[in-house]
Amino acid sequence: MIARRLIQTIACASACTVALCFAPVRAASLDSGAVSGIGLRNIGSAQMSGRIAALDARVEKDGNVTIFVGAASGGVWKSLDGGTTFAPVFDKQPVQSIGAIALDPTNPQTVWVGTGESWTRNSVSIGNGIYKSTDGGDNWTNVGLPNSERVARIIVDPKDGNTVYACVPGKLWSDSADRGLYRTTDGGATWTLVLKGSNLSTGCSSLAMDPKDARVLYAGMWDFRRKGWTFRSGGEGPTAPSGSGMFRSSDSGATWTAMTAESNAGLPKGPWGRVEVATAPSNAKHIYAFIESPRSALFTSEDGGLTWQERDRSQRMVWRPFYFGKLVVDPTNDRRVFKMNLRMIVSDDGGKSFSDSSGGGHADWHDIWIDPTDAKHIIGGNDGGLWFSYDGGSKWWKSGNLPISQFYHVSTDNKDPYQVYGGLQDNSSWAGDSAYPGGVSNSRWENLYGGDGFWAFPDPSDNNFTYAEAQGGTIGRVDRRTLATREIQPKARRGEKLRFNWNTPIALSPSERGTIYIGAQFLFRSRDHGTTWDRISPDLSTNDPERQKQEVSGGITVDNSAAETATTIYSISESPKNGKVIWVGTDDGNVQLTRDGGATWKNVGGGLAGVPKGSWISWVEASRHDPATAYATVDRHTFGDMEPYLYRTTDFGKTWTQLVGAQSGVRGYAHVVREDAVNRNLLFLGTEFGLWTSVDAGQSWAALRPANFPAVAVRDIVEQERDRDLVIASHGRGIWILDDLTPLRNMSAQTLASEVTLLPGRPVQQRLQARGGWSEGDASYSGDNPANGAVISYYLRSRQVIGKLNLDILDTSGHVVDTIPPGIRKGLNRVVWSMRTKAPFVPPAATIAGGANEGPRVLPGTYTARLTKDGKTYAMPFVVSLDRRATYSLADRKAQFDAVNRVKGIFTRMSTVAGAIAIVRSSVVTESAKLPAGDALRGDLAQLADRADVLRKKLVATKEGGAITGEERLRELTADIYGVLLSSEGAPTNYAMARVDALDRDLADVEKSFATLTARDLPGVNEKLKAKSLPAITIGKITLDDSGRGANVEALFDSIVGSRSLDVNAASAGTESDDR
Amino acid sequence: MHVFAIRLLPLVAALVVMTAGAARADMASDLVSKNLAARGGAEKLAAISTIEFTGKIVQPGGSQLTYKAIRARKNGGTLIQSSIQGLTLVQGYDGTVGWRINPFEGRRDAERISDDATRALADEASIDGALLSANARGGTIAYLGREDFDGTDAYKLRVVGAGLGAAQYVYYLDPETYLEIRVEETRVLRGSKRVSLSELSDYERVDGVYFPFSIETGGIGSISANRQKLVIDTARANVPVSDSLFAIPAAPGAKL
Repeated sequence: MIARRLIQTIACASACTVALCFAPVRAASLDSGAVSGIGLRNIGSAQMSGRIAALDARVEKDGNVTIFVGAASGGVWKSLDGGTTFAPVFDKQPVQSIGAIALDPTNPQTVWVGTGESWTRNSVSIGNGIYKSTDGGDNWTNVGLPNSERVARIIVDPKDGNTVYACVPGKLWSDSADRGLYRTTDGGATWTLVLKGSNLSTGCSSLAMDPKDARVLYAGMWDFRRKGWTFRSGGEGPTAPSGSGMFRSSDSGATWTAMTAESNAGLPKGPWGRVEVATAPSNAKHIYAFIESPRSALFTSEDGGLTWQERDRSQRMVWRPFYFGKLVVDPTNDRRVFKMNLRMIVSDDGGKSFSDSSGGGHADWHDIWIDPTDAKHIIGGNDGGLWFSYDGGSKWWKSGNLPISQFYHVSTDNKDPYQVYGGLQDNSSWAGDSAYPGGVSNSRWENLYGGDGFWAFPDPSDNNFTYAEAQGGTIGRVDRRTLATREIQPKARRGEKLRFNWNTPIALSPSERGTIYIGAQFLFRSRDHGTTWDRISPDLSTNDPERQKQEVSGGITVDNSAAETATTIYSISESPKNGKVIWVGTDDGNVQLTRDGGATWKNVGGGLAGVPKGSWISWVEASRHDPATAYATVDRHTFGDMEPYLYRTTDFGKTWTQLVGAQSGVRGYAHVVREDAVNRNLLFLGTEFGLWTSVDAGQSWAALRPANFPAVAVRDIVEQERDRDLVIASHGRGIWILDDLTPLRNMSAQTLASEVTLLPGRPVQQRLQARGGWSEGDASYSGDNPANGAVISYYLRSRQVIGKLNLDILDTSGHVVDTIPPGIRKGLNRVVWSMRTKAPFVPPAATIAGGANEGPRVLPGTYTARLTKDGKTYAMPFVVSLDRRATYSLADRKAQFDAVNRVKGIFTRMSTVAGAIAIVRSSVVTESAKLPAGDALRGDLAQLADRADVLRKKLVATKEGGAITGEERLRELTADIYGVLLSSEGAPTNYAMARVDALDRDLADVEKSFATLTARDLPGVNEKLKAKSLPAITIGKITLDDSGRGANVEALFDSIVGSRSLDVNAASAGTESDDR
Repeated sequence: MHVFAIRLLPLVAALVVMTAGAARADMASDLVSKNLAARGGAEKLAAISTIEFTGKIVQPGGSQLTYKAIRARKNGGTLIQSSIQGLTLVQGYDGTVGWRINPFEGRRDAERISDDATRALADEASIDGALLSANARGGTIAYLGREDFDGTDAYKLRVVGAGLGAAQYVYYLDPETYLEIRVEETRVLRGSKRVSLSELSDYERVDGVYFPFSIETGGIGSISANRQKLVIDTARANVPVSDSLFAIPAAPGAKL
């Protein structure tokens, strides 16, 4: 976590403001703990979800089904209830790409996870070995194979949990000897490579075990390699030599026999590509194998692999073998086999024929689990998440609880609350709410376009329209009102081929509202919403013909989907300070700059020290503060180099300074860099392994990784400048929002060196009190809203463990208006003040008065947060204002505040008289008990108590028993009008105030009656008490204890109170929440 | 010679494993000792037979209830009272029976609570806490290594055992004070596992023993704004209590 811990320098320490200084004080101890308390919230979505690479499940003894799901780039998720709910269990680990999951059949607590997906598409992430949990997924240990990069399959010996096999395809982008089939016999302590590929690009793609004899294994070996512009499954072409093959061992992997067309009748001639093999659990002799070859097909053997027969070779069997391979045989029926593919297909006749088994599910299936106790119960994973079938795979339910969405990019609009826009791998382009009353549920997301999604922008010149993009630069302008789309991709001239990257950049001009750019090898600009395009550059790439052979890409099976299109523009950034300055990065190493709006261009990428030619420029970022300054990230993972590289120029690219390199402490190849709009020293860097920040212009870096945010790939970062939010597109865990980055803008070396520093935030609004959404059940994801209140931020150098930390809120006169539980973590803390005054003192009655369970919010104005630690106080003023959307004035708000307080006053009077009545009644009981039975004074006392009780029954409802009595007395009626006045912060209506007047008079009548009672009846009774030497009944001064201040009524009804609440999630869910 | 070497290797490996395992057990034991010492020591802890806490519960959104809890070492009795609008939610456990009075919808009679809820309440009663009482209750403690918890490189211990209320506790100890700063509890409710976390801070001494005066509770992965906070204002040790305080009331509470 700790990036560079650099010593503090004195350069520019105090002479410059944070916005102007460019030689900042180095952060004294910038580390993840110092900054991560700023917090991130996930708004999902699970509506579209994302690719699932592997899964495993088990039917427990009690009938529950335990499921482990391996997301392609979003970690491991566990369900204990058959998929109703999921929890991420791998978030603390340093990688999030999952290739294989295996539950130990000998021990329900042991789970194995192979990291690094094996469905090796262009955007696939990487892993770092094999992990083992011995406590059901709570804790994990990396038990080896650190250089495997990806794992395709894990099989645990069904009789010996210490014997485990790991099928390792190995490194995708470089040669490696660390690939093949591994075996451990000591529970992962040591591993032995038992089957090695014939060359440095051949690893293990598939593994199957004889269901009756665990010593018998079948392995598929796969020769596969990617480059940034091509790939091959098998050799370099359909007939080129390949290391792929299929092997059999009968001695637990000690020795292997190749299975070939020559040795095993019926198998196809080589060369082979991807090989997948599966055994039938119910018939050890029945084996299936999909073999990619010039005649790709399914092959079956019914004699344990000695001889084979060619079976199905339909389109869905042989389509894209590198991406879909897995065969799954029904555990109860050896003739029923499923083949993963674009659409999953199933055979009931041993592979002779297949039919569709995808129903209404998403495309691109990768794995399924079939319930061995009920083969109609199937759980499947594809590019669109997790699916459940209860009819054997004909129809499918979609899981709504896995926010593993793989965004490439994100943008925001200026609605209030703003919406976020973004495109996802194989899941189109979407717009979703950044906040919504009740939470950002799946239903708050809207699909806009189609295909694989990438960039999506609201048109700043017309909010009714959104630009959305699919793969290969397909771009449409979508009318949000109708969702009708006009395709506006620039087209090639005669005899020309435009090269659009898979992830083609589009960009909005920050200086010309409505101007949009898109890059092929040329840069195009449109100033009329795509009606016309100006070509404003020559070919800005290297135009290297060696990188333009996609028509023969794929190896044995050609696969030219635009995913490998290269020598393209990959990043575009117009300077916000000068619209004629445009920076362009290409996927082949050029950083191109125009300073005259595209008339002339210069490649300034040569100055990136240490960057080999042809490297992928993954991001260019024009400075928000200086036209000569720009940042560039270089992503060399397609060359096997997984390190991050970040550079900055301050002289229009003449020279570049490396800010992040291989030894910087930052992990993962770099995707995106953003410079803060206000503080140029504040930078954000997104890499394959997370989000990083620097508060000293890139001299030191720290992982910004709150506990709920895993080491997921961060592909894009934007600032919502109005709200000062940072919005993060993760490729595997959806969209994340850092609400208000003002505290980070104000962090400095001085802050980090201090014991305590209060940090200012954005102006506080009293957001409208709104309700929305509806219960979608436990199986549906809902993203968190921003904090509902004023957020107080401060820095603590160390965690508060012993002694009180006190956080008070004071008004302008210095009175403490609230004391709130403070945050106590090391580093940045954020605490929410509800801004509510105390709830009214409501007299006790038969039930709680739900409408009067909280106080009104304080009036807008200036308040002060005062933190007290170890006897020292730290104070910071902040301003509270109305919601900027409010249709009422401050005077209206004050009228509402006064009206609510008036009713609070009525409650106080009511409680006072109720208290006095209670004293009279209890005194009667006390004194009567002292009198002998039959004493006449007992009767007088009883009459007094009865008269008092008549008044009490005018004040409060008294019928107990738990039924809905409908009994309404002054207390209940007052609570009703109190709730009405509290619910809206505009000026109260006349009829509401008339109602208050009426209740006020009713209360006055009771007060008057009680005064009469005490004046008329009490003296006489007291005289008689005195005569018997008993104390007089005196009421005295009524003091109201107002320490209770209202509560979540739903939680109270459910008794969700105490330090060990049984259902803390329910308690949280019951909380009403504003959208801000 | 060669054969001997081969035979020797597994023995060496086993010794290494055993040594590592023993080291972990020692570490767990050492951390528990340090935690006990940090709390105030066995003698002072044992001298507390009852303890009473008063304070407030702050719910998400800022609403509050008063809070009063009494715990007794004898029988593990506990009584928790949370009040609002003059109505008091009472939860009790007398060592055998868990019960509550929930007056908010018009009922004042006590009702028994489920076995799962009773176990949670029984945990509330423990003056020592699950970690320090684990050995006496037949539990086992395992050292899980160190783990970053919000910037603090905490020691991590797992406590399990049939005699404990929760299915599992995971404790995070502050490396400087050895006091617990986070506890994850896994409970089983009607056969379904629930995991909650508590963050503990603001430790103060009560008769020489440190107790957390701030406990923030929420679901795993929850953000702080959505958690419940228990703030203790005062605590008194060895307050006199009778056994009957914790027993389920036979008759409904008095009418208003």
